[in-house]
Amino acid sequence: MNLPDDFVFSQTSLQDYVDCARRFELRYLLRQRWPAPEVDDMLEFEARMDKGEQFHHLVHQHLAGIDGEVLLPRIGDEDVRRWFDVYLKSGLDGVPEMRRPETTITTVLNDTMLLAKFDLLAVKPGGRALIVDWKTSERMPSTERLAQRLQTIVYRYVLAASGEAFYGGQPIPPEQIEMVYWYADHEGATQRFPYDAAQYATDTAYLAGLIEEIASRPNFPLTPDVNRCRFCPYRSLCDRGVQAGRLDEWDDGADEIDLTAFTLDIDQIAEIEY
Amino acid sequence: MHLIKKQQEIANANFTSRLFVEGMAGTGKTTAAIERIKSLIKEGAAADSILVMTPQATLALPYRTALRRSRVKTAADVQMETLGSLAFHTVDLFWPLLAQDLGFKDRPHFLTLEMVQYYMTRLVEPEIRRQDYFNSVHISRNRLYTQIVDNLNKAALIGFPHDEIGERLKSAWLGDVEQAYIYDDAQASANLFREMCREYNMLDFSLQVDLFVNHLWKLKPVRAYLTAKYRHLIVDNVEEDTPATHDLLREWLPLCESAAILYDKEAGFRRFLGADPKNALLLKAVCDVTIDLDRGRVMSPDVEAFQVAIAPHLGEKDGQARPKDGNPRGAIVYPQDTRYQPQMIDWAVNHIASLVHDQGVSPREIVVLSAFMPDALRFSLQSRLDERNVPNRTHRPSRALREEPAARALLTLAKLAHPDWGMKPSKFDVTYALTASIGELDLVRARLLTDTLYRDGRLLPFERISEAQMQSRVTFELGARYERLRSWLDTYITTTSLPLDAFFSKLFGEVLSQPNFGFHKQFDAANAAANLIDSARQFRQTVGKIEPDVPAAPEYISMVDAGVIANLYVRDWQADKQDAVLIAPAYTFLLYNQPIDYQFWLNIGSTGWGQRLYQPLTQPYVMSRQWTLGDKWTDALEVVANQEVLYRVIAGLIRRCRKGIYLGYSEYGEQGMEQRGPLLMAVQNMLRRLTREEQHV
Ligand code: SF4
Repeated sequence: MNLPDDFVFSQTSLQDYVDCARRFELRYLLRQRWPAPEVDDMLEFEARMDKGEQFHHLVHQHLAGIDGEVLLPRIGDEDVRRWFDVYLKSGLDGVPEMRRPETTITTVLNDTMLLAKFDLLAVKPGGRALIVDWKTSERMPSTERLAQRLQTIVYRYVLAASGEAFYGGQPIPPEQIEMVYWYADHEGATQRFPYDAAQYATDTAYLAGLIEEIASRPNFPLTPDVNRCRFCPYRSLCDRGVQAGRLDEWDDGADEIDLTAFTLDIDQIAEIEY
Repeated sequence: MHLIKKQQEIANANFTSRLFVEGMAGTGKTTAAIERIKSLIKEGAAADSILVMTPQATLALPYRTALRRSRVKTAADVQMETLGSLAFHTVDLFWPLLAQDLGFKDRPHFLTLEMVQYYMTRLVEPEIRRQDYFNSVHISRNRLYTQIVDNLNKAALIGFPHDEIGERLKSAWLGDVEQAYIYDDAQASANLFREMCREYNMLDFSLQVDLFVNHLWKLKPVRAYLTAKYRHLIVDNVEEDTPATHDLLREWLPLCESAAILYDKEAGFRRFLGADPKNALLLKAVCDVTIDLDRGRVMSPDVEAFQVAIAPHLGEKDGQARPKDGNPRGAIVYPQDTRYQPQMIDWAVNHIASLVHDQGVSPREIVVLSAFMPDALRFSLQSRLDERNVPNRTHRPSRALREEPAARALLTLAKLAHPDWGMKPSKFDVTYALTASIGELDLVRARLLTDTLYRDGRLLPFERISEAQMQSRVTFELGARYERLRSWLDTYITTTSLPLDAFFSKLFGEVLSQPNFGFHKQFDAANAAANLIDSARQFRQTVGKIEPDVPAAPEYISMVDAGVIANLYVRDWQADKQDAVLIAPAYTFLLYNQPIDYQFWLNIGSTGWGQRLYQPLTQPYVMSRQWTLGDKWTDALEVVANQEVLYRVIAGLIRRCRKGIYLGYSEYGEQGMEQRGPLLMAVQNMLRRLTREEQHV
C-alpha cells in the first residue's frame, strides 16, 4: 500500500495521476514543492487566477445572502464585473432553491477517502440534485473532453455515493443528478452532464480501479507525453526541459486551478516569538 | 473502540443536548468527542454541519486525522475552525454589510503576522523614533512590535476598548515611573497602528476579531448564516480559549442542535495569549448536562504516582491518593553527578539511543523537553542524536528564512540581477551564493571565482580569467556552469524585469534546479525556495494593493536583511508525522496535546520552568478579564502566579506521559551558573520525602 491511511483523493489528484504518475507521486505522496513557473507569463497567469478567485468569492457572498446590488458597485475589475452581471442575470436559472455554496463531500471507495468540493450544490429533497461549477476560462472545452475529465466523473460519483445527508437520509438516485459547467466569459453558456445508474456503475469501477492501481503500483513513471511537461513545474526535476510553456498555449478550459488554495494562516498568531 | 460508561454518554447519547465535559488531560475527552462526531453522522447529520472549534489549529489535528482514518462516509467533511479563522472567513464573506457603517470601500486587506511586522516597521517605527518611545527598553524590534500587537489582540479578545490598554497596565503597576512611561508609549504605538490600519483598509488579527464578534455576529443575517450552517458544535480545550470565544459560544449554544464543550482541568497554558480557564467555566451554566471524566487513561500507575507525589512540592494541597499499585520512583530516571550541561546531554542521548536501539521503542514515542529550547541546546541534541542514528525533529515556533542557505543564495542573486537597486552584495555573500547555486563547486573555487570575476556589483564572464592555470583550477566544467548562471543573469538584467517572486521562480526553474546546479533534486533547497517565493509574493500582492508606489522588490529585500520579515513560515505538519524523536519547548508540547510514552525533561534546575517571559510592554494577568481594575500587581501575586504555572505545566506534562520521565539535570547551567530552580527543588524535596516514607515502612 503506497498511501498513508489518512490520504484523501480528489479530482485534482486523480487527474494529475492520469496525466502523469510521477507528478501525482511528487505532489501528493511526497508533497514535494518545486517552485518553478508553470507558464511563461506568470503575472498574466496570476491575474487570471486572481479574477477567477474574485468571481467565485462574489458568488459565494451572493449565495450567503448579500444582495447583488450591494456587491456589484464594489467590483473594481471590469471582467469580473461583467461576469458577475451575467451571473446575476442567469447564473441561477433553473437551480433548485436549497443552495449550498462551497460544499465538500467525502466518500469511501476501496477503503480510501475520495473528496469533491463543489462550487455550488443545489438539491431539492426528493427531486433534482444539481452540481454547478463556475468557470471563468476564456476557452470552452468540447463536451467529449469535459466528459472525460476527472472532475465530471468524481463530482457526480461522490454525490451519488454520499449525498444522503442532503436528501432526507436517502441516497440520491443517479438519474436525479446533473453536473453543470457555467461559463462566465461566454454569457453564461453551460455544458450539462446528466447522470444515470449505468454511468454510476461504470464510474465506480473506473475510480476503484484507478485507486487500486495507485495504491499497489511499485513505482510512478514519468509520463511518455512530454508535451504535458511544458506546463508542469517539476520539469527541471524530471529533466524535461528548461522553459515553461506559453500561456497562450495553455489549455485554461481544461486545466484546473485550485482556487481554494488561498488560505491566510491566522493561526500564526499562536506561533509568534514573544 | 472501548469506551467507559461516561465516555459513552458523550459518544452515543445526548444528541440533542449541550454537554459540558470536564476532566484532567488524558481522561479520554477528545476520544469520546471524536466518537460523538461519527455517531452524529451515522444518525444523519450532515458532516459539514458539525463544527470543531479549538483555540489553535494544532489542537484540531487529532480530530482531522482520526476522522480521515475512520472510513466513515463524509467524516472528513467536518469543519475545523479557530476563533481567528472563523473571524477571517466571516469578515471576508460579509464585509460589504459593514461597508456603510464602517466605511469599507473595497475588500479589506487581511494582514498576516509577517505583514503586521512590516507595517509596524514602516508606519509606526518612524514615529517611535521621532518621539523616542521605549528608550529604556532593550529588546529586539520584533519582540517590541509583537507586544504592541499582543496588547491590541488582548483588548479584542478580552473585550475592552483598545485605547484603554495603557491605563489598564498602569493602574496595576506599583514600581518606578519609568515603566509607566513604557506603558504610555505602548498605548500611543497601538493607537497609531490602529489608525494606520483604518486608513489603509488593513485588518490585523485584533480588528478581524473585533469586527466579527462586535459587529457581524450581531447582524441577523450573519448570525442566521452561521447558526444554520453549523448545527452541532464540538469545542475542545475551551479552557485554552479566550473570553471572545466564550462570549460567542454563550450566545451560540442555545441556538444549536447539540454541543459538547470539553474543558481540561488544571490547564490554561495559553494564558499569555489570552486563555481564560475561569471564564470558560461559565459556559457550564448554558449547558444542559455536565459530565465529569475522572479516570486517567494515559498514565501508568507509576507515572500517576509520580504526579501525585510531586504535587504537594509544587504548592498543591496534599490531598490526592497515590494509586495502590504505583511507585513514583518507578516512573522517573535521573542522573548521578552531572556537573555540566554537556554531560547531561550525553546522559539523555545515551538513554534515548538505548530506548530506541535496545528496547525497540519507536522514536515518535519520545520527546525531549526544556523550559525554553535555545538554539545551542537544540543543536547539540540534534547532532548527538544524529551521531547515534536516532531520527529526530525539532519544533520551533518560527525560523528565519534568511538562515536557509538556498534562500540566502536567492537573495544574493536577486541583488546581482538588479543593479538598479544599488544593493551590491558582499564578496562573502557572492561566494556563498555561487557555492549553493553551482553543483559541485566548493568554497575554495567559489572564492577564486569571486575574487577574480566579481567586480563592482557584477559578475564578469569566465573567459575574463586570463591565466589558463587558474581556469583549470576552477575546471572548465564548473566554469561552464558558472557562465550559464552568469549569462542568464546578464540576459535578465538587459531584457527582463519581473517582480521578485517571479524572478526567483524563473531562476529556480531555468537554472538552479536544472541538472548540474545546486538545487537539482535538492528537496530541502526547493522547500526553502518555495517558502521564500510565497513570502515575497504575499508581500508584493499586499503592498502592491495598499501602497502601489512602494517599490516592492528592494523593499522586501531590505526588510529580510533587517530581519523584519521572512521570519516566520508555516510549518510543514507532514514533517510531524515522521517517526522521529521530538525536541521542543515544554509549552509547545503541551499545546500539541498528544500523549507520548517517554519524556526527557532537560535542565530541570533552570529557573525558566514556571517563570514568566520578560514582556516589558504587557502583562498577561492584568490584560485579563479576571483582573479587577484598581488592584495592584504585587510581588506576592507574582510568586503565587509562577507557582501555579509551574504546577500546571508539570502536571500537564506528566498527564501526557504513559511510561516514564527522565529528569535531566546538571549542577551548572549553560552559563556556568549553579542551577537551583523551583522544579529541581520540588523533585529533590519529593525524593527526600519518599526516602523518609520508605524508612518508616
Ligand atoms: S515534468 Fe513531466 S514527467 Fe515530470 S512530473 Fe511533470 S508531467 Fe510528469
